[in-house]
Amino acid sequence: MHIQPTRRSQSLVAIPAYNEAATIRSVVDRVRADLPECDLLVVNDGSRDRTADVLAGSGAVVANHLCNLGYGRAIQTAVLYATRGEYRQLITLDADGQHDPAQVRPLLAEFDRGDWDILIGSRYVARKRYDGVPMGRRLGMQLFSQLVGLTAGRRIYDTTSGLKIIGRRTFAALADWHFIDFHAEALVYLMRLGFRIGELPITIDERRHGRSMYSALSHIKYPLKTVLMLVLGVVQAGVTRRRAS
Amino acid sequence: MTALGVIFGAAIGIVLLLWVANLIRHDRLYIGYGVIFVVGTLAATVVLLVPSLLDAVTRGSIALLPVASLTIVPLALFTFLMVYVFAQITILSNRVARLTQELAIRNAREADVEARAADER
Repeated sequence: MHIQPTRRSQSLVAIPAYNEAATIRSVVDRVRADLPECDLLVVNDGSRDRTADVLAGSGAVVANHLCNLGYGRAIQTAVLYATRGEYRQLITLDADGQHDPAQVRPLLAEFDRGDWDILIGSRYVARKRYDGVPMGRRLGMQLFSQLVGLTAGRRIYDTTSGLKIIGRRTFAALADWHFIDFHAEALVYLMRLGFRIGELPITIDERRHGRSMYSALSHIKYPLKTVLMLVLGVVQAGVTRRRAS
Repeated sequence: MTALGVIFGAAIGIVLLLWVANLIRHDRLYIGYGVIFVVGTLAATVVLLVPSLLDAVTRGSIALLPVASLTIVPLALFTFLMVYVFAQITILSNRVARLTQELAIRNAREADVEARAADER
């Protein structure tokens, strides 16, 4: 059975959520209040807490993963949904309430003005420093930022930001290949394909509930995985470009 | 180890690395498994190519468990088999993930259509 696109707006706000019962309802309410013209999708990534119950009756469209697939897959679900709904842009926000939906509006204005393919709400681009970030994370952020500069020719200062505006032109590329978390490896892949990716400064609130998706072990595994995917992303982008030409 | 042995070992390492990288690139081996094989193979190849490291590792391993150097062949075969098994697990897991995503999107769309129809009524 083919289900017709149900788009009401040109923009889809997508919030990937895993065990975010404490915050997700307030995030949804803030998005609906601050961005009433946007459609809203929550990708409930197999949460084991009351996230699904909390979302009932919230007015958001909820895509429930039956099991936890990870952040990258949750974003991919949103990209697939946006592709089929023929949305012009996909706006991603974190479910922990760190992002103020009101900051999306200047991002959207710059997205249109700059003809960007992806615009990142960046915590660090304004000062180009990682002040106040714990040492381990700071080293990781610097490493990924430098690697993006080295492999894609332009530094991105906040490769792990969850607030992004993703333009329609990139949907096919994002759905066709695979990524870990849609961070540095995805940015390099897209930049090597010729897409325009930029950053605009934002401020964030500190996470008050729940846990970060990065465990202690992932501080070793994640950089290794990202560096490997980054190298393979460069290769894959080269192959894709050769095939296209 | 003889020079020929080192070249043979390094060649196995390079083939394994290229195979693993290609599997990851085609989404046929989960990056989390792949990174373990890559790091392990790189470490083994480096040990093989640096004589002082190879001597130290050989002395250490013989002290713990005396084994013939031919053990490296079944070990390499076992590693290739492991990569193959993990690739099959990844392919299966990707199919489950894709099904889960499609189901989620379909259910979300249906719920949205129903909600809008109810709104219009």
